[in-house]
Amino acid sequence: MALEGTPLRPRVTAAITGASLLVLLLAWIAATSLGLVDDLFLPGPGLLWAGFLDLLENGYRNRSIWEHAGWSLERVLAGFLTGSLVGTLLGLGMGVNRKIEAIFSPLVEFFRPLPQLAYLVLLIVWFGIGETAQIVLLFLTALPVSAIAAMDGVRNVSVQRIQAARSLGATEWQIFRYVVFPSALHEIFTGARLAIGVVYATLIAAEIISGSTGIGWMILDAGRFLRSDYVFVGILFIGIVGLGLDRLLLLVEHRVVHWSGKD
Amino acid sequence: MEAEGISTERQAKLAAPLARRLARAVGDLRLLSVLSVLAVLAIWYVVTAFALVPEVLLPGPGEVATSFVDLLLHGYRETTLWQNAAATLWRCGAGFVLACATGVPLGLAMGYSNGVRAACNYIVQFMRPLPPLSYLILLILWLGIGDTSKIMLLYLTAFPIVASSAMAGVWSTKLQRIQSARSLGASDWRIFLHVILPSALPMIFTGARIALATAFSTVVAAELMAATDGLGWMVFSASRFLRNDVIIIGIIILGVIGMALNKLVLLVDRSLVHWRGVE
Repeated sequence: MALEGTPLRPRVTAAITGASLLVLLLAWIAATSLGLVDDLFLPGPGLLWAGFLDLLENGYRNRSIWEHAGWSLERVLAGFLTGSLVGTLLGLGMGVNRKIEAIFSPLVEFFRPLPQLAYLVLLIVWFGIGETAQIVLLFLTALPVSAIAAMDGVRNVSVQRIQAARSLGATEWQIFRYVVFPSALHEIFTGARLAIGVVYATLIAAEIISGSTGIGWMILDAGRFLRSDYVFVGILFIGIVGLGLDRLLLLVEHRVVHWSGKD
Repeated sequence: MEAEGISTERQAKLAAPLARRLARAVGDLRLLSVLSVLAVLAIWYVVTAFALVPEVLLPGPGEVATSFVDLLLHGYRETTLWQNAAATLWRCGAGFVLACATGVPLGLAMGYSNGVRAACNYIVQFMRPLPPLSYLILLILWLGIGDTSKIMLLYLTAFPIVASSAMAGVWSTKLQRIQSARSLGASDWRIFLHVILPSALPMIFTGARIALATAFSTVVAAELMAATDGLGWMVFSASRFLRNDVIIIGIIILGVIGMALNKLVLLVDRSLVHWRGVE
């Protein structure tokens, strides 16, 4: 929506975006080629491209970049799928039954704002350095986010619908299956998208303790050796994959919850 | 089998009044929450008291309480608990306030003007899903290992969230309101100040809450990777010495601070944006 008098035409908008992008690029090229900043701190476009090709060709530390990406994705998916499944079930229970909510809400409320890294340390002591600690961390990250979204979803189901179903003789289970769950599904998906975002952000932290695999580990390790070209490539890679994951979930949501927004 | 069945039945009958009384009490939902927390503490106590897990891995509640008193009195490795908490809150607060001070105006401008949006939005939208820890290492390279790089990290974490929510807030303004204000002869500036800004405020506050929570999460991570004080540093340093009591105290303090920060923003939100939800 445009609040200004006349909305800009798409072509004008694209031109402004292009110009802004161009200014940024020129500033980058100027800063690096005129030697205003050291290559060590900010690699120029040429160096970055060379670093990218080098990574594609030779990989990082004996593993191809795809292998690192595979490890990272596996961790994200394992933590996200288990965490959001358990979280959603818990959230549905909390939404339907006030007593379940009363029992679990102190725990969920405590866990949600808790920085994930704080309990990573404890998980390392318990599970050792390795896959288990990382996946449990991501699981615990996704769980409260999904739980709260599912609970809110159930709470926001319009009472009229439930009453209408009940007056038509639906059993409690039928009401849940055919009224409450479909109505809550939109918010469950919103929660899932939030959860995968948080899980993805936590991945880098989790990979602090991964031995020698994963894109996050690669960024941290490359930073230690001042290979800022690899760091930049890693950041771009992570940004693009993250955007892709979000779009994928959005696509699934549109497929599954085709009734969303048609109230 | 038979005897057992009868005895449990009889037990159940005897217990019935008590159970009913309990059930009535349990009906009080707040009590149920308290019971749930107590149950967790009880399980913790039982697990440690009967040595079901090695004490190195999970110290008991009593031990943690003693270390907490010790931590309050003597601090942890020449830093007091207050010093660490203050360091964490200062970094988090400074980054967050800077992000609000610049992100809200930019977000409002992006929502109001298509030109500003076209010039800036793609940057904000690219930064938003980027895990902050991925660029922490660059910030440390550029700005050194001190507080500047951490405050910058939190600034960059909170900024895109606040800016996006301010932009969405402007869009949530009802067109009829703007039109009616305009038809009553209000200038553009007055429309912005008296119609658009109040309509956008609820969303700005929601964004601020999310941003503060994310910044708080991130500050601990940043301290874990590179710091010599702060609660995150304390927890991480304790893990190196297998001081699990200190880790658990750290986790509890971080959880309580996280909840308190959330409540604080909610409170400011309620008192300032009293028109939220009133259409």
